[in-house]
Amino acid sequence: MNSSLKRMDVEQARQDLCRRTLSDIQRPLDRLIYLASMRDYNTGVYHHEGLASRFTEEVACEALADCHREAFRELVICPLHELVSQLDAYRSSTHTSPREFLTAWGRLEPYRVAVPVQADPLSAEFLFSNFKIALAVLESQLDSRPAGLAA
Amino acid sequence: MIQLLFFVLIGVALLASLLLIGRRGSVRAEGDSGALLEARRALDSLQGGLLPEELVQRIFARDDLDYLSSSAAPKAVRDLFVSERKRIALSWISQVRCQISSLKRFHVGAARSYAQLGLGTELKLACHFAALLFACRALRLAVYVGGPYAAPRMVGATAAAAASICTISEQSLAFLNPVQLKPFANSSLPS
Repeated sequence: MNSSLKRMDVEQARQDLCRRTLSDIQRPLDRLIYLASMRDYNTGVYHHEGLASRFTEEVACEALADCHREAFRELVICPLHELVSQLDAYRSSTHTSPREFLTAWGRLEPYRVAVPVQADPLSAEFLFSNFKIALAVLESQLDSRPAGLAA
Repeated sequence: MIQLLFFVLIGVALLASLLLIGRRGSVRAEGDSGALLEARRALDSLQGGLLPEELVQRIFARDDLDYLSSSAAPKAVRDLFVSERKRIALSWISQVRCQISSLKRFHVGAARSYAQLGLGTELKLACHFAALLFACRALRLAVYVGGPYAAPRMVGATAAAAASICTISEQSLAFLNPVQLKPFANSSLPS
């Protein structure tokens, strides 16, 4: 396939994905986690049936990878206070108890598997570091709340 | 006897020189493509990963610390933040220095064979490299001793100098970029 034609297809698929799916996911953190979940951990290939049926598997995969990189970039450069509030909002959306969530994220560090494969190592390390700090901030906020509210 | 010894010594010296020249030649033939690839990777890493302005600003931004101070975060959290940022800042400086050193090796070794740089540009580039590598060392020391916010101006100057070296190196490596072939015009086809 001609590379410029393919690039146009990927761009169209990307716009389609943004319009139909990603526009409902406002926060970059939620988008990062959603897009990482579209990736097969064994092969690194992204899958999206709807997008693949409208375009091709290959084009859909590249469009998903593009959006994943975009969400990653947005998150890397977002200020700490925004990351804290995004993490808190994401926690709320999972309906998990704050303590349970913070313990699991602190121990398992699931954000490490949510970054795109081709992410720059320093940017990835910077994001992991910010997650670590954001979790510490949320934990300190939880500790300072009255016992009844923190549960 | 002394004369014989003298000629033998000259012969050994000539043979050693020939071997040395031969060895250098073969190393260079292998090393050139390696140096090119290393330089291209260094350039991509600098331009794509380490030097984008928004990333550099975010790493060294003081507003995150201000946020923690204003939100009355415990001292342990603030300490964690400062130590993490210091670690990332030192890592950034080391990686910039490492990639700049790679570009320097390319320019010292292989660039002359490929890039049509004038003597003036080469001298300017040599001064840039020396100043930048020194600045990286000084910045590293400043951040190591004073923390991530010790030398904000030096960070900006280092990033700008590295970006300028990238621009010159980009020209030297331009021949590696894929050639954009124009499609054949219909008029050139036989009628």
